Parts: sequence; structure tokens; C-alpha cells
Amino acid sequence: MADPKLRILVVDDFSTMRRIVRNLLKELGFTNVDEAEDGAIALQKLQGGGFEFVVTDWNMPNMDGLTLLQTIRATPTLKHLPVLMITAEAKKENIIAAAQAGASGYIVKPFTAGTLSEKLNKIFEKMGMA
Amino acid sequence: MSANNDSNDLEALFDSIAADFTPATPVPAPVAPKSASMGDDDDLQALFDSVSAETQSAHISGDMASGSTENAGESWPAQEGVFNRIGQMARALHDTLGQLGYDKLLEKTVSALPDAKDRLAYVANLTEQAACRVLNATDIASPLVDDIENSSKALGARWDQVFANEMGAADFKKLAAETREFLNQKVPQKTQATHAQLTEIMMAQDFQDLTGQVIKKVVSLAQELEAGLMNVLVQVIPETKRTEEVASLMNGPVVNSEGRTDIVVNQEQVDDLLDSLGF
Repeated sequence: MADPKLRILVVDDFSTMRRIVRNLLKELGFTNVDEAEDGAIALQKLQGGGFEFVVTDWNMPNMDGLTLLQTIRATPTLKHLPVLMITAEAKKENIIAAAQAGASGYIVKPFTAGTLSEKLNKIFEKMGMA
Repeated sequence: MSANNDSNDLEALFDSIAADFTPATPVPAPVAPKSASMGDDDDLQALFDSVSAETQSAHISGDMASGSTENAGESWPAQEGVFNRIGQMARALHDTLGQLGYDKLLEKTVSALPDAKDRLAYVANLTEQAACRVLNATDIASPLVDDIENSSKALGARWDQVFANEMGAADFKKLAAETREFLNQKVPQKTQATHAQLTEIMMAQDFQDLTGQVIKKVVSLAQELEAGLMNVLVQVIPETKRTEEVASLMNGPVVNSEGRTDIVVNQEQVDDLLDSLGF
């Protein structure tokens, strides 16, 4: 289990979805969670520093999740951040585009608590954070 | 051509295009762009002819045309091409709609769209309310259940001490009294409160009935609109364009995956695809 104090940013334009992800993370023991309602706001918060993990939706106004991911990977201070995508976009093209852009994981909605836990753990293992 | 309103709109559009064209015309248009005595059809036909004549002459005279034009910039031939195509498409659409009687259908559909927008806003509103009610209920119920679990564990641990002969008589009496209170009062209180939240969660699902009805209406409207537009498009669009798919990365949830190979339907397929790519 990774550090329960891990600071996580949840990015989704629907408050309900942010709340669900936040609750699931809480159940998994992660309580240090902040929220952003689109990629642009997320980027601002990330540039403020202190975040160690990003969970993001794809289809959002202002800045979508893929652009956010690409921007994170292109920013020297942020590029190490694990980014887990949770999205309703289910075309193979989407998954490939996300993987090529450097996504750490990809979850399709609707998803279960078990899937989230499994993907998080897989990312923690890869990052040596487990 | 009974609907004069939209004809007038189109006329105005064509007039504005024609007006833009006039200064750049190297050769006078063969037909006068506008005449009061003309009927609507003749009018449009005349405009269409003049627009295509201009384009042809522009193509023929090429650089000379743009060179001899005082007002136009160098990009004018490109713009002209675009205007010309838009003019042709509008003309074709206008004719087709009129001939097939779709102008009436579209009129009806356009007036129905704001209604559909309101209905969908209503659905969004109800579902959001329901989601909030459920999330609030779970927020209230979770600590209650946690509390029962923690208190049970604490009492259980003390009973373990009793069975291990590690507890004095006074402590045992206290434990027995606390256990009795726990079973008679604390647990029923908390399970009742939890039950109330379960009922709240159940009641929050009542939106489904309402949204279901509204969505059915909007779907039937959308189907009508789609059928109408499809028929128009099939008439207007060139053969080669008919099979082209719109490629986009932001499509939202897949509502019907039947017969599609370009999408995944569950998390396993996501993982398999990523594995197969070596990610």
C-alpha cells in the first residue's frame, strides 16, 4: 500500500464523478485529495506544486484530459507525475493515443472500486511507490 | 417554393454574396443579378448563373483577373472558390428541400429543438439531484456502520480477555452492562439510522421513471430529425463522401457497441490492448 498521505488531484468536469472518485480513493485509504473541474484549472493547481498523483477524465471543457496529459509530460517539473485516465472514451484510438501520450493507466467508465484499486496498485508498483 | 420566409433568407444570403462578387467581376455577368419582376425561382437561378459564370471567367482569366481587380487582395480567387461552392451547395439544398417537401419538416424540427433542449436540461437536473442524494446518504451511513464495527471489535476484545481469565470481577460487571446497552440500544439506533439512508438511496432512484419518459420523447424527435436530414444529405452529398466517417477522439460513452470493432466494451479489453502494444 502506498503512502496514505499521497496528494492526489482528481480532474473531472462533473462534480458527481469527482465525488465518486474521491470517495473510492478514501475507501482505499487516500484522504489527501483535491479536485479540479477541467484541464486548465488542474494545470494551475499542479504548477502550484505538492501533487504526487493525477486522476483525470478525458472530455472536459477548456482543456481536455489528453492535452492535460501531454502538457504534464512536456513540463519538466511535472513530467514524472503518474496520470491515470478514467474516461467514457472507449475507442481503441483513444486508448492508443493516451498510452502514446504517456498515460500511466486507462480505466473506462463505468468502472468498479476493484478496478480503480487494481490500476492504482499497478501504477504504484511500477513507480516503486508500493 | 411556398415558404417565402426561408426563400427570402436565402435570397438575402445570395444577394450579399453577389454584392461581394460585383467589384471583382472582370466580365459582366450574363444575367442581371436582381430584378423586381422576377419570381423567386428565376431570381435564384439568375444569381446562381451569375455566380458560376464569374467563377468560370475567373478560372479562365486566372492571374489577369486578380491583377486587373482594384479592390481585391491576392487571396481573392481562393475566397471566390469557397463562395462559389457554398452558393452551389445552398442552391442544391434549397432546391432539394423544396422539391421533397422537407422544408416543412425542418421547420417543424427546428421549432421542436428548443423544447428538446429544455427536456434534456430537465434530465440532467434530475439525475444530478439523484446522484447528490445518494452520495449524501452514503456519506451519512458510512460512519454509522464504521461505528458499529469499531464498537463491536472493542467489546469483542474485552470479552476475549474474559475468556483468557484476564479480567477482574468489577471489570466484568462493567463489560456485561456495556454489552447489554450496546445490544439493546446502540446497535438498533445505528441500524435504524442506516436503514433510513438506504431508503433515501432507494427513493433517489425515482428520477428514472421521469427521465425515461422525457428521453423517449427526445429520442423520437432526434430520430425524425435524423431521418429527414439523412434523406436530404443522400440527395445532396456526392457518392464518395457518403461513406466517410467522422474521426474524433471525443465521442463520449459508446451507447451501442453492437457490430463495432473500433471500440472496447470493458476494462479487460482496455488492458489487453495496452498489453498488446507493450504498455
